[in-house]
Amino acid sequence: MAAAESSPLTTHVLNTSDGIPGAKMALSLHRLDSQLMIWTMLSVGTTNEDGRCSVLISREDFTPGMYKLRFETGAYWESLDQTCFYPYVEVVFTINDPDQRFHLPLLMSRFSYSTYRGN
Amino acid sequence: MSAFRLQQVKGHILPENKIATMAGSPSPLTTHVLNTAMGVPGSNMSLSLHRQDPLTKAWNLITTGITNDDGRCPGLITTQLFTSGVYKLHFETAQYWGSRGEASFYPYVEIVFTINEPGQKYHIPLLLSRFSYSTYRGS
Repeated sequence: MAAAESSPLTTHVLNTSDGIPGAKMALSLHRLDSQLMIWTMLSVGTTNEDGRCSVLISREDFTPGMYKLRFETGAYWESLDQTCFYPYVEVVFTINDPDQRFHLPLLMSRFSYSTYRGN
Repeated sequence: MSAFRLQQVKGHILPENKIATMAGSPSPLTTHVLNTAMGVPGSNMSLSLHRQDPLTKAWNLITTGITNDDGRCPGLITTQLFTSGVYKLHFETAQYWGSRGEASFYPYVEIVFTINEPGQKYHIPLLLSRFSYSTYRGS
């Protein structure tokens, strides 16, 4: 998908408990308005069967600033009839050079998670 | 008894990193910051603990602190105050890396978690580099 490949920001949710993609997880992308100091929601989505969510933001909209990706982990595990220690996970990050590509995966289980900056 | 010997005896009775700043038993909630990039404790990092008001959803500050040389912060909360609810630990990660003359991808890290059984012990570490972090529920 050309649109997904050109998306400057991508994510990938992995369910490390079961060794499967974190499919059908709701997530949202927000940017901090640095003058008003409030978060503005830019997009919402749901991960596909591969745990990915295509086109979070376009190149044009991807300006320098502070962003957060919010993952609805509590709802995800609830749909699997399980509880989760984390009702949601928010990863807050700073973009100084929006010409680069940023891949922010979430590797998670019911009682742990990790993330890193990839590309 | 020499000062050194006294310190040794204290260590046998109560590990130093569990001596709470508040009177009474050690905090049922603990954290530990580790700088995985350099293989050292994440010392001198500012952090804060908050509880969410279940009705208004607003966050109420419980404690602020700074990690010690071992990357720990004793005395986060007392057993009495540690009730069921949604909490968050906020770590000033960019400030930490900035004090080392380095930039950080994450301006701060917030870990939001649900406590249903406040009688248990919860250890919530943060393993951190400039471009990655992880956490887990320990005890």
